[in-house]
Amino acid sequence: MALERVVRRAGWVALFGVCGMLSAISLWPKGMSVAMAAGAEAPPTPTPAQVDFFEKRIRPLLVDHCYDCHSATTKQSGGLRLDDRDALLAGGKDGPAVVPGDPENSMLMQRVLEKDDIKRRMPKGEDDPLSPEEISDLRAWIKQGVFWPVEKSDYVPPPSPSKAALRLAAYPRPATPEQLSYFEKNVRPIFVNRCYNCHSDAFKEAGGLRVDFGASFFSGGKDGPVVVPGHPEKSLMIEKVKESDSKKRMPQESPALPETEIAIFETWIKDGAAWPDETEKTPATPAHIAANYVKLRANHWAWKPLSDPAVPQVSNGKWPSTDVDRLLLAKLEEKKLAPVEDADPVTLIRRLTFDLTGLPPTPSAVKAFQKDHSAKAYAQLVDRLLASPQYGERWGRHWLDVARYAESTGPSRNIPFPNAWRYRDYVIDAVNRDIPYDRFIQEQIAGDLLPTKVPAERDRLITATGFLALGPKDVNQRFSARYKMDNVNDQIDTVTRSTLAMTVSCARCHDHKYDPIPTADYYAMAGIFASTTDASGLKSGMGGASLDYYTPKLLAYLSDAKAPTVSKDEIEKLKAETADAKKAFDAIKDTAEGTALDSEGKPVQDRVEKKYNRLNENLMLISDLGEQGYGIHSMRDGVAADTSVRIRGIEERHGPTVPRGFLSVVQVPDAPKIPGTHSGRLELAQWITNPSNPLTARVYVNRVWQHLFGVGIVSTVDDFGSRGEPPSNPELLDFLARDFMRNGWSTKKLIRELVLSHAYRLGSTVPGGYRDVDPANRLVWRHSPRRLEAEEIRDSILLSSGRLNLDHPAGSPSMKVRMIEIQDDGPVAHSLLAAADRSTYRSIYLPLLRGETPRSLAAFNPVLQTLVTGRRDATTVATQALFMLNSPFVSEQSFYLADRLLSEKGRGNRDRIREAYELVLSRDPSPQESHKIRSFLSSYESSYKKAHPSASGAAKLTRVTDTTADITAGVVRADDEADVPKPSKQEPAQPKNPKQAAWASFVQSLYASAEFEFVR
Amino acid sequence: MSEKLPLQTSRRTLLKTAGCGFGYFALAGLLGSATQKAMASDLSNAANPLAPKRPHFTPRAKRIIFLYMEGAMSTLDTFEYKAVLQNSAGKSGPGGGTLTPSKFQFKQYGNTGTWFSELMPNIGTHADDLCFLRSLYTDTPAHPQAVVQLHTGSANAALTRPSMGAWLLYGLGTDNQDLPGFITINPTIDFGGAVNYGSAFLPAYYQGTPISDEGFMPNIEPAAPKGLQRQQLDLIQDMNRSLAASDGAPDAVDGVIKSYELGFRMQDTVPALLDISKEPQKVLDAYGVKPGPEGSFARQCLMARRLNEAGVRFVEIRQPGWDHHTNLHRGMIDQCRRIDQPTAALLTDLKQRGLLEDTLVMFGSEFSRLPTSEGTDGRDHNITGYSMFLTGAGVKKGFNYGSTDDIGMKAIEHRMHVNDLHATLLALMGLDHEQLTYRYAGRNFRLTDVAGVVQNEIFA
Repeated sequence: MALERVVRRAGWVALFGVCGMLSAISLWPKGMSVAMAAGAEAPPTPTPAQVDFFEKRIRPLLVDHCYDCHSATTKQSGGLRLDDRDALLAGGKDGPAVVPGDPENSMLMQRVLEKDDIKRRMPKGEDDPLSPEEISDLRAWIKQGVFWPVEKSDYVPPPSPSKAALRLAAYPRPATPEQLSYFEKNVRPIFVNRCYNCHSDAFKEAGGLRVDFGASFFSGGKDGPVVVPGHPEKSLMIEKVKESDSKKRMPQESPALPETEIAIFETWIKDGAAWPDETEKTPATPAHIAANYVKLRANHWAWKPLSDPAVPQVSNGKWPSTDVDRLLLAKLEEKKLAPVEDADPVTLIRRLTFDLTGLPPTPSAVKAFQKDHSAKAYAQLVDRLLASPQYGERWGRHWLDVARYAESTGPSRNIPFPNAWRYRDYVIDAVNRDIPYDRFIQEQIAGDLLPTKVPAERDRLITATGFLALGPKDVNQRFSARYKMDNVNDQIDTVTRSTLAMTVSCARCHDHKYDPIPTADYYAMAGIFASTTDASGLKSGMGGASLDYYTPKLLAYLSDAKAPTVSKDEIEKLKAETADAKKAFDAIKDTAEGTALDSEGKPVQDRVEKKYNRLNENLMLISDLGEQGYGIHSMRDGVAADTSVRIRGIEERHGPTVPRGFLSVVQVPDAPKIPGTHSGRLELAQWITNPSNPLTARVYVNRVWQHLFGVGIVSTVDDFGSRGEPPSNPELLDFLARDFMRNGWSTKKLIRELVLSHAYRLGSTVPGGYRDVDPANRLVWRHSPRRLEAEEIRDSILLSSGRLNLDHPAGSPSMKVRMIEIQDDGPVAHSLLAAADRSTYRSIYLPLLRGETPRSLAAFNPVLQTLVTGRRDATTVATQALFMLNSPFVSEQSFYLADRLLSEKGRGNRDRIREAYELVLSRDPSPQESHKIRSFLSSYESSYKKAHPSASGAAKLTRVTDTTADITAGVVRADDEADVPKPSKQEPAQPKNPKQAAWASFVQSLYASAEFEFVR
Repeated sequence: MSEKLPLQTSRRTLLKTAGCGFGYFALAGLLGSATQKAMASDLSNAANPLAPKRPHFTPRAKRIIFLYMEGAMSTLDTFEYKAVLQNSAGKSGPGGGTLTPSKFQFKQYGNTGTWFSELMPNIGTHADDLCFLRSLYTDTPAHPQAVVQLHTGSANAALTRPSMGAWLLYGLGTDNQDLPGFITINPTIDFGGAVNYGSAFLPAYYQGTPISDEGFMPNIEPAAPKGLQRQQLDLIQDMNRSLAASDGAPDAVDGVIKSYELGFRMQDTVPALLDISKEPQKVLDAYGVKPGPEGSFARQCLMARRLNEAGVRFVEIRQPGWDHHTNLHRGMIDQCRRIDQPTAALLTDLKQRGLLEDTLVMFGSEFSRLPTSEGTDGRDHNITGYSMFLTGAGVKKGFNYGSTDDIGMKAIEHRMHVNDLHATLLALMGLDHEQLTYRYAGRNFRLTDVAGVVQNEIFA
């Protein structure tokens, strides 16, 4: 009986895991299939009725009963796959599985119908044979030629509830007051006294079971339902407490329950297992909040439909180049302010090149632009920069900030996402291709649900959903229901703040206090994400080590994923070694010998356990697709269902169920309906990107504006709610939003429009009195200087030193790391930080695990990778000075730049100084500056000689950056795999000679200067 | 007090966003006229976010040292004596399991007769100075969340919150502007890692500075000899000053100039403070300083005293390795050997130097362990009732607050949630936990989230 439950439960889990993968699997390149090679006939095109029959009757049957053993992503037992028509026809070791048109001679039917030898009967391991109905469906399907829909990838059937789920007792339960009183008086105290330490809120859900609230108790544990009302003799709970083997008996590690208490349980179950209805009412919205909601809905600017502002008349008709300029100038004229003088060409090209590519212009580009900075030359420059691959690396990074992108789960147990870089590359590629923003959003929220026939495109779209999957995750959350809803919350927060600048996640616990977002709206949206399977490759659990959290079934796979070819012998050998190691560990565990300390002061058993874990991990490594790098952290539809309000956000307190839906604050007239069979993510994405949704375009153009003008038109870029700042120029915001949509949601067109405005080209001078009128330059009378971001600082130092590699590397150093918890200060982290130190690629390609910020970025406010961050901090702290003066990175690059300047023999110091200024600051030094530097060089050189009388050529220069190494070289796959030295006091790099010392010191001063840090 | 996001909507916020350093910002270059200078003095706190700030009310303590026992020390085997438990071997425990008394001998210390096991003979000598919190409870019996909750107030590890040290700096600033105000030695490497000393959405200058138990801090070692580096710094500052003088220069340049001078000074001050080798031998012996892991906690205790004396607002030190699901007996002996002497030496040292007058010391774990057994020689996690102790400024001496039931399972009297603990710590430091808020992502955040009650019965 218990076995049956286990098997059924396993089938249920497999079903979640597999059906979402169908899409990827069924699009495996046909050319590779054996069937085609064998010359099988082309499949007949099925009729619509056949498609319907297949999707409703056949595919669920295959998924439910066969895929555990016969699919590309599972075992392919007997060499057979049933997830693809060609594979099915090709068959396995014993030949074709089916003969189209001839069910009786099809091996599949024969094995299903096997009566004598239960061990041969399929599905193997299931207690019951297929039902007569299922068998007749299969027969009909084969008879009609084994039809298989061509567009099969686009239809993902909703998984049908498992048999175990169907056997669950209903909750809330019907109960009389007498029954309830019996429960409270006699039954609940036993739960509290005997079971809570392992099955309740304050402790854990051992075996997935909780006994402290009805909704969870009646949904059972890992082995299915624990009570069958009316039937104590069929109830697992009774079986467990009566168990004679004290190791298996409940409560564990305790004396057996007294007969009287068992009798109470039995009586209670026999009498129908009454339990009070704990479903609560949603608290009423407080009156003052409700009143405020009404007002805000009607009046708050952000939720009103887009206006169609007329371009205003301005007095100074000469100044504006574009309508954007007219909209800005009108406001300035109201305040009696005038735009300042234009920036000089050098400042302008430096500003534009940093803004569009995150890099400084080359000295030759600066020279050319100085010669010809006509409107035409400027426009050509803009187009060239927008077309460069570096544009996507800069603007892709902006989106990754908003997407809280990172390569690990972060807080709690930090588990790497080794394939997260695929999402990073998806973003860079999408930005460079200028995928329309509405489509870009749809891909990231519902890429797996968008139709396509092309495998590579299918992979791309699934990868896009990494946006939802790559959030911070608390895998150590001991209650699976809380884990799920915490992830849902992360997804709601990320989607709503990034695209709508709404703080919807506040409404998880209570009606939003400031914006009209009732809790019901939150749970309407939560239902959408709760109906989605988080396929990031992880499950939650309490405790756990090694590969415990890694769940291959919870990943998607690339279309061209190929199971590694491993010989049977190799696997058997490894299996035997693993079994031996386990035996050795079991033998020593917690014995006197095991707990004795070794020479390093650690228990001896630790090493034995480690060895077992390693072998176990290696066994997985050679056979698992995910471990071969084919995995995609992504999302797919799960069981579509509405969810209930959780009172105060507490997972255990259920309120009424709300239908899945969108925010009520924004009215989108032709909003799509969410079908009962799907999660609703696609519809949510369509609702967000509907042109009638006033927030989406406004929020996005505002983000773009901020990146070019320093401050958003709405300065709180991630919050357009009532607590955010109002727009400084509402007409401009709506004008841009409309224009953006008219231009097909093209980011490049929007940026082009903005940088070609006259306003963008202003200088940064401050006329007297202007700051009294508009201290923060919200009206754009000048161009506000901005601090370079951490990535820009690192990249431009590398560019000027001649070390920057502008190629797009294949993957990330983290792709080598396994999905095993890493320590903050452990070997994996150190090896990745070392890989980052060594890298000469652009910063966006550095390993970015949560909490493991590359040392070359850490000083200058890199983004916090746990929440949507539309605006970076730019604080000034002493650690930045220490980084510039003492870090191995800046020191080393200074030596490289010094060598670069000194390498050309026969050049004068004046020329070298000029080159240094051009490379680092994009400008020529003034004669006075050049003079100052020359005297600095000579005085530094002589001081150096005094300080190092015998130094010449003696000291060695340690180099860290390495342009030749493989990006994953030296990266440790798991913490227990190798020791990596921790960073400690390093000998600072020493110059070769006094001259190099002086030049390196000079160029380092340029890097350390505020002029380098700020772009004007 | 609430600080808005830097929105650049006014000169005031402009100044705020340019705040610098371990706190210094010159206004002279920016503000010309006398009236503006007058305004500047009003803004001094806004301009230098780490300058000492006026607390909400008179503080009882000015600095904190937190001795953190990571992994959940079994208090039932150290300083939580339960006579009933000692006589209940083999009985069924509440909620399941079998009661298991401590195998260590307990005896009473001091005039208060406070019980300590044989594992803490040195800490026991301070019995009459300690203020025990004996009825703590928390939300999650798993280390990662409980550790993060102890440090940030929230168990939801996915939504990172600022750590308590960061909140203290945000609320109070720090006295020594040449040093970080929040230093964490040998910080937690898993269980949330850097989250435990991060500033999350508070500005980055409030985050903790991590230092290894060997006293290592990155980039603090000068890359060139001091004289040469000064020459270089003069060139940098010369360039910065000309930039600052130009029309339309970035407002933050003055902050940059100051941050370089501070960084330059820190190269001397920080390593000197962390170098314990020059302490007299008898001090080193008193703490039990030795190299390697065995002496890690002793070194940390001594560094903590030096940092505290130098005016660092919040110092945390850490001894990991208390998660005794197995090997409880031997493990407790080894662990207590590493912490008992140094902890006692630190308390003695602080007291002798008069530092306990304004320093609050806190000792404890994220939760504790069950009175029932796990396997043959272990205890599982218990969050329903556990103890910590405080000592020093602002708290009663030789005092017990709250209690657990007879077997040390569940807090029954004066129950004190971790949010209450934080509210109380802030109150001791002169801060009202309900007023210490920061606006982020559309709402005001607090260290105590939406809860927390100050337990002022422990106040001296």
